[in-house]
Amino acid sequence: MLLEVEKIKKSYKVKNNIVEAVKSIDFRLESRNITAFLGPNGAGKTTTIKMIAGLIHPDYGDIRINGKSVINKGRFALKDIGAVLEGSRNLYWRLTPLENFEYWGGIKGVSRLKTLQRGKELMSAFGLESKLNSTVQQLSRGMQQQVAICTALIHSPSLLLLDEPTLGLDLEASDRIQSLLEVLAKEQEVGILLTTHQMDVAERLSDSVAIINNGQIIKQGFTKNVLKQFSSGETYIFEYVLEIPSEKRELLSKYRPEYINLSTFKVVLTDAQTPYEIIDLLEPYSILRVEKDSADLATVFRFYTSNQKN
Amino acid sequence: MILHAFIAEFRRNIIEFKRYPTEFISQVFLVVVIFYGLFLGGKYITGGEVFGDRLSGVVIGYVMWVLVLDAIGSMGYTISEESKNGNLEQVFLSPLGATTVLFVRNLANLVYLMFFILIVVVFIMVLTGHYLSLSIMNLIPLLMAVGIAIGIGYIVASMTIIFKRTDQFLNMIQFALLFVIMTPFTDFGGNWSLVAIIVPFAPMVGLLKEMIINDSSLLETSLLFWWSCINLIIWLGVGVFTFRLANKRARKMGTLGHY
Repeated sequence: MLLEVEKIKKSYKVKNNIVEAVKSIDFRLESRNITAFLGPNGAGKTTTIKMIAGLIHPDYGDIRINGKSVINKGRFALKDIGAVLEGSRNLYWRLTPLENFEYWGGIKGVSRLKTLQRGKELMSAFGLESKLNSTVQQLSRGMQQQVAICTALIHSPSLLLLDEPTLGLDLEASDRIQSLLEVLAKEQEVGILLTTHQMDVAERLSDSVAIINNGQIIKQGFTKNVLKQFSSGETYIFEYVLEIPSEKRELLSKYRPEYINLSTFKVVLTDAQTPYEIIDLLEPYSILRVEKDSADLATVFRFYTSNQKN
Repeated sequence: MILHAFIAEFRRNIIEFKRYPTEFISQVFLVVVIFYGLFLGGKYITGGEVFGDRLSGVVIGYVMWVLVLDAIGSMGYTISEESKNGNLEQVFLSPLGATTVLFVRNLANLVYLMFFILIVVVFIMVLTGHYLSLSIMNLIPLLMAVGIAIGIGYIVASMTIIFKRTDQFLNMIQFALLFVIMTPFTDFGGNWSLVAIIVPFAPMVGLLKEMIINDSSLLETSLLFWWSCINLIIWLGVGVFTFRLANKRARKMGTLGHY
């Protein structure tokens, strides 16, 4: 198993209060697999990724990469990790991509020759061969992010950790990164754990998802299974002729509706519930349409996080 | 692995030097001008040779001062600069460990600094007309002092990891260092011997003085040499130990990348 995260917990003391950033997180990741960590801001995603990278030590639990504990045998485990973390960089702006590869490869114990060779391969996978000798500060934000990912891969790690890899990038750069990540996972057998707020990115890339909120995983599974669960006729759109009054909206709240506007809403119904219950509930208001909706990850995400206190 | 890291650090210095040579040239110019200004000022005030035969001692003392201050400061500077530019967490992701990466970075920096100093010394010799006669043995106490400076540098780096801003502390250290280097602990004798072994740099300063001013060989000053070794082991050990503790604590508090 590439990555095993066992019941990790982390709390901080903030002005005499104990804040539980991660209450209990437990999951596995295999090679060739991409797992997306989804969750609102402050859910504990970044803390978890940093604990996996050994930058934060958990109060409880263990993390193993290829069987090596990050906590007890950190240095051995770090050989297998590449990471691009949000709000942090892995590039010197006054150096070119090639010089950055030489540097970061060197402090990871890789010879200069190997880093140059690997760096060129990675840059050509992004179509950035012509930028090998431009300084990083001359590159666009999208290119810098692509070079940062190349740098994280310079020592050929088996696990790649990415915190918001496509945030703030244009479509072309985001597309290139997503394509490369797919190739890395499927052809080079790298396991990838990424956090993102972009549901379309998670839906396209991930084999599995873990929805995290308030420091714990509230839903995890294969992405297609999670989506199937929500697409098997359980998501409905109700559109009414008039706005739904607040007392009726209160009655509806137990179904966790997602309002598109004041007369239209989406609900995810469980097996025991039927759309008729909602029609009955909103009687005598006139319905314009009731439609089955195919779920996307955004719907799933909202369903699991909307009624939870952040 | 460590060799690859050293080459990487050294090449990074060289690349930046080649890309931004004006930084290097202006630094050399500034240091030479300050030293030459002191030389001329002294000559003017005394109306004669200010350093005379002791110029070698003065230059080597100056070199030691520059090397030691740089080794102490660059550790804390590395931590705070890397946190500011966001690269610190990546440095801590090195399988070599942050202690080794910092050590290697310091060594690469020192080699670069030696090159800088060599150019400065050549300029000083040409300008003053005095040529230094230094034995390679003089480098031994100098390198030992640098080793201690790296140990103290680890302590500064530890404080930077935990408290983040340590500029004032670094300023204070410069004064403390001046006191320690100027006080002849090794000449006091008696119970002061113990103090001389423990106070950082004290035995090296004594050793250097014996070797340069009194022209003694390393064998003749073997007691000071062994004291210097103990001094080096103590301070390098304390530095590395403190840094590891700080490292652990920052990971526990989750504040490694913060600034």
